[in-house]
Amino acid sequence: MRPCKVGYNNAGSPLKPPTMKIFALANQKGGVGKTTTAVTIADGLARRGMKTLLVDLDPQGHTAFALGLKKSPGLYRLICEGEPIHRVIQNARPNLDILPGDKQTEKVKRQITLSDFRESILLDILHDTEYQVVVLDLAPSFDVLHVNGLVASDWVLIPTRLDAMAVDGVKEILLTMGEVARRGHAFQGFSILPTFFDRTTRETLVQFKEIVKAFGSRVWPPIPQDTRVREASAYGKTLWEYCPDSPAMAGYIEGKLRLGGYRQLIEHMLEVING
Amino acid sequence: MAERKLERRTILDPAVASLLTDMEHRQSDAALPRREREKKAREKAKMRARRDQRATFDLPPALRQQLMEKAEAERFPASQLVTLALVRLFQDLAAGMLDLAPFKQPSRSPRYDWNLVLPESLLPAEAKKSVKKNVKPKA
Repeated sequence: MRPCKVGYNNAGSPLKPPTMKIFALANQKGGVGKTTTAVTIADGLARRGMKTLLVDLDPQGHTAFALGLKKSPGLYRLICEGEPIHRVIQNARPNLDILPGDKQTEKVKRQITLSDFRESILLDILHDTEYQVVVLDLAPSFDVLHVNGLVASDWVLIPTRLDAMAVDGVKEILLTMGEVARRGHAFQGFSILPTFFDRTTRETLVQFKEIVKAFGSRVWPPIPQDTRVREASAYGKTLWEYCPDSPAMAGYIEGKLRLGGYRQLIEHMLEVING
Repeated sequence: MAERKLERRTILDPAVASLLTDMEHRQSDAALPRREREKKAREKAKMRARRDQRATFDLPPALRQQLMEKAEAERFPASQLVTLALVRLFQDLAAGMLDLAPFKQPSRSPRYDWNLVLPESLLPAEAKKSVKKNVKPKA
């Protein structure tokens, strides 16, 4: 049998319903704000009435923690033990479900490695759900689970701090995306999201100019540095609940304009979702 | 004909472009000597404080001209002359010395119920012309 193209079934049809939009949060550098961004946009889109699933593909299992839930081996039970998805997902907030992970997610990688069509296992699972939006929180590593996340995604959102190492992580993820695209997966697009943005430092300006020069309109308005973000996860609250008007949410105020912040990010994502 | 040099355009997100410009300004301001930096900061603070005092209205050009000429002749700011005129207007309205009713005509705009149509005799000569141009002839 001819192997099917990644992300497509044997008949050549995409493996997911056309109304579903899947976003992957990826950067091969850790500590750039992937999980915070994943949780914030998932809750933000859920609050806008979209039935949203947040999938934790990172063995650290921090998405559940950030939502005030216990870490659990949801992904492990789903893929390794074959439990149906409705039994392993948890409802986290109105319109927002989570497929949690924990350290057992490491075992999932081994299981997937032994499977047929291993790159599209996650996409195949998501195909059977009826979510409007799926947000995938990828681990800062390059492995089969990471590739599964990219193959499943329509749009890759790459959070990055504005320092040389994190920007190098952007380059790495783009190379990986290039590999995935060469095997037949068509991404609808990608965006770069500067996080921990501190507009007063010279290094931020230098790195910001660099990525704007390299990626132009693919650079989305940044998320300002904000200590309240760290506090929110300690209380198990999302930013929408804990500090809805903080700089990280509302952005910088320039006269009547608001620049950056998660609220503006949600508007950009809705533009992507609505085509 | 000289060959036109083509440049590739990068269409930035407006918020990103605005932030970048702002950061570049801040950076160049930071490189200025202390006195100039303080002067710029004072100017900025002054501009910020005046932001709430700004207002934009449409005036007949001749009336605007008259206002500017008066302010120039008396050597005071036109804004203060407008302030005085408006203070007097509201005093007169409050004292019942000015009635708006004779000037009111029904408006066809969905936003307003009325238009204030001023008699030609009240307007400066040039303004009368511009008002006349805008008036549609009656059927």
